[in-house]
Amino acid sequence: MALAEPGRKTKVPVGSVTRKRSRSRRWALLGALPFFAYISIFLLIPTGELIVGAFRTANGAFTLSNISDIFHPPYPQAFEFSLELSALSAVMGGVLGLLVANAVLHHGVPRFIRPAFVSFSGMAANFAGVPLGFAYVATLGTLGVVTTLLEHLGLDIYPSFSLQGLFGCALVYMYFQLPLMILLMIPVIEGLRKEWREAASNLGASSLMFWRYVGLPVITPSLLGLMVLLFGNAFSAYATAETLGVSNLVTIDIANLINGDITINPQDAYALALAMIVIIVVTIVVYALLQRRASRWLR
Amino acid sequence: MAQVTAADAARPKDHRFRRARNRVPVWHVIWLVLAALVFLVPIYSVVQFSLAGVQPGQSPFHWYLTVFDDPMFRSSFWLSIQIALETVAVSLVLMVPTVFWVHLRLPGLRPVMDLISILPFVVPPIVLVVGLLPFLKNITFLFVRPEVLSLIYVVFALPFLYRALDAGLRAIDLRTLVEAAESLGAKTPRTLLLVILPNLRAAIIGGSLLTIAISMGEYTVASLLEFNTFPVYTYVIGTSTAYEGVALSFISFIFVWAAMLALYLLGRGGRSAAAVAITDYN
Amino acid sequence: MATVELRGLCRRFGNVVALDHLDLEVGSGEFVSLLGPSGCGKTTALRIIAGFEWPDSGEVLVEAKDVLGQPANKRNMGMVFQAYSLFPNMTAQQNVEFGLRVRKQSHEVRAQRARELLELVGLGSALNRFPRQLSGGQQQRVALARSLAIQPSVLLLDEPLSALDAKVRVQLRAEVRRIQQELGITTLYVTHDQEEALSISDRVAVMSQGRIEQLGTPAQIYSGPRTAFVANFVGTMNQLEGTVVSMEDRVVRCGPLLLSVPDPTFNHPAGETVELFLRPEDIGIEVLSNGTQLVPGQFEGRVTSLTFLGPVTRVGLTTDIGPLLADVSSAVALNLAADTVVAVKLDSASLRSIAR
Repeated sequence: MALAEPGRKTKVPVGSVTRKRSRSRRWALLGALPFFAYISIFLLIPTGELIVGAFRTANGAFTLSNISDIFHPPYPQAFEFSLELSALSAVMGGVLGLLVANAVLHHGVPRFIRPAFVSFSGMAANFAGVPLGFAYVATLGTLGVVTTLLEHLGLDIYPSFSLQGLFGCALVYMYFQLPLMILLMIPVIEGLRKEWREAASNLGASSLMFWRYVGLPVITPSLLGLMVLLFGNAFSAYATAETLGVSNLVTIDIANLINGDITINPQDAYALALAMIVIIVVTIVVYALLQRRASRWLR
Repeated sequence: MAQVTAADAARPKDHRFRRARNRVPVWHVIWLVLAALVFLVPIYSVVQFSLAGVQPGQSPFHWYLTVFDDPMFRSSFWLSIQIALETVAVSLVLMVPTVFWVHLRLPGLRPVMDLISILPFVVPPIVLVVGLLPFLKNITFLFVRPEVLSLIYVVFALPFLYRALDAGLRAIDLRTLVEAAESLGAKTPRTLLLVILPNLRAAIIGGSLLTIAISMGEYTVASLLEFNTFPVYTYVIGTSTAYEGVALSFISFIFVWAAMLALYLLGRGGRSAAAVAITDYN
Repeated sequence: MATVELRGLCRRFGNVVALDHLDLEVGSGEFVSLLGPSGCGKTTALRIIAGFEWPDSGEVLVEAKDVLGQPANKRNMGMVFQAYSLFPNMTAQQNVEFGLRVRKQSHEVRAQRARELLELVGLGSALNRFPRQLSGGQQQRVALARSLAIQPSVLLLDEPLSALDAKVRVQLRAEVRRIQQELGITTLYVTHDQEEALSISDRVAVMSQGRIEQLGTPAQIYSGPRTAFVANFVGTMNQLEGTVVSMEDRVVRCGPLLLSVPDPTFNHPAGETVELFLRPEDIGIEVLSNGTQLVPGQFEGRVTSLTFLGPVTRVGLTTDIGPLLADVSSAVALNLAADTVVAVKLDSASLRSIAR
């Protein structure tokens, strides 16, 4: 490329330069095409199909009847149970996760505790699904190890307790909610600067006072955000509950509608799936807003 | 000042200081113990339960032996492994060049990629199946082949693999490496293969292990599309014979534990592996 | 106000000795700096006094009473940290009020006191600002106000200005001293900046490797360093090696020259190797034009470098007794260039000798 000499004016055709740049950008975009094509085929289009399908009858005509079907039994009860279960497991996992994360990070705790809990949490978070269901059948089922142990101690948890009930299922969900919370909460608590704790102590505050006036207010947005995340996580779950034999869960209802065992009603399945998407989108938006709030304190 | 040393050693206050330094509040211990119970009691129960319920004269490992003897066990496990490997292969072929390309040439697309990487959370497996089922039923040749599961699992693994690759690429100075390679005469595909990939080894292996764990454990789509993968097999067996289901549960646990151990060990040696790779190329 | 006494403080972290039998007495209302490089133990000592660390052995006495048995939140000391110590979810006023809130003071009392203190540190207008809306210097002022709100018996400052810009540091250190003197509060100040320590302290304790190398007023530390470490750490020092010729006459042979050291504390026997220390400002330079003779007491030197420092220029010289650094006014330095031959005169009265 010849260098222009000072003084000599070189004519640069402006139009062709910008055209070249946009052409190379177009070529570059082609490189990302396979990925976007794949996502469209296997994610976006199916999602679009079901959103559209929620408003169509079996013959393809537009209708709102699928949506209105959701409001008729047994679906409202299913939503109620799913939402309650998700909320309960989110709160249980969230609170205990906070307490455990804080304990793991305490300076006096033996060195091995943190890596032990972090690696086990990574493992436990991946253990959800069918094996987890049977694991709890072995633990708290009617013939479970803990059940029989409690019986020997005089505590008969059945029939009031049930793995398919709200509390029982939430307890099972804890197995993957708790580790998730621990893993995500550790960086949040580490974000509480040592100087804040020491300053508070220096000014006369006890540990509890620190948490009340400084610690909790600062981490509350993150804490709530993570609990919302746990909520979404529980709401989407299917395999674990199915294995436990839970019957009135939204995800299980959807599965029953399309697996052809009793009735096949894909239209209602679309409507229920659409409702699930709406609920999950709401949780993600709330989570994002809370995260934004959180970053204000923890800069 | 020298005499202070002897006096120091005799002072009982020394122990007081050491204790005060390392005092852990009771509450913390309680929460840690509670969490440990939540994690370990089910595993203990699984082991205990799977060794129980045997008739006198039978081996305590009766349920495990029954399961191992079942040809369906082997075929479903093998099927799951195949699907998992196929998922990893498709995911890597799809994601690695794409993430590389976006980082290099299309940085403006990063926010879009970030958004897409959380879409699979908005569309959980059960919902995705609802959308895919009618579509797939029409493509019968694909519908009956288990490969379709791999193609779907790629979507579920996407967020994790993307995050791993994105982090891995952000950790290396991509632009400099590519320009150095170009100045030595290498074209982009070659650069990707010979220069970038070795530096991403830790991210790729980590992401792949997570993908395998996800694929091996996935039940929702596999059962609704009626494929006999390992989780589906576990479900069918377990709902008829609880003891065998629990034994299979323990086998799954060992598998996940091994995968996570590999991930952890990799995380320890991963950076040095990448460092070796870089120096290899010098 | 309280007196603070440290007796025989020892602390090791694994194989590293952080504090090695540290003894220190701080009088009521006194401002003492702990000065030293990183790792010398100064911060560890401060944190032990505050209650965030415990020693392996030793005592900390405040008003002659042992405080090591008390937890940090009961010691009633004020502490200012290096940075980031303001509570992010509270305004400046709420931060300052915090200690009083913990002590269950009423709302009016708290607000009044917070306002007073924020005025004292010059931030009366920033009552309702959050830490992230304040500059580094402003944050440290609020931190100071907050620590004073509880009327502590002792004030501890852990490198409070290290994270700030140079100009702000100079401004703020004078204010810290002013406030301390106004309130008469016993203060311990940790810093690695010797200019800072010398300019605002009543006494300075120069520390190295867990022990106090020298404790004295800023002038004593500067002009009368008692160890090589103190001499080199505080300010710039010329260091020369010599052999004692005579103890009574206080003469030392340095290379080919005989130097007289009029220091009355000179007590090295003949034949001993000593280090001689001299500050750059105690060395005079005169340009030697051709033909000018050396006056007795002068010797020859050649300029090797010139470093402009503002009001003075630091001149690097090679001489028969070794390399020297001399400070001359920048106006005079205009006449100097590399390789200029100059006449060098040492202000012997300022020579300090320390045994090798």
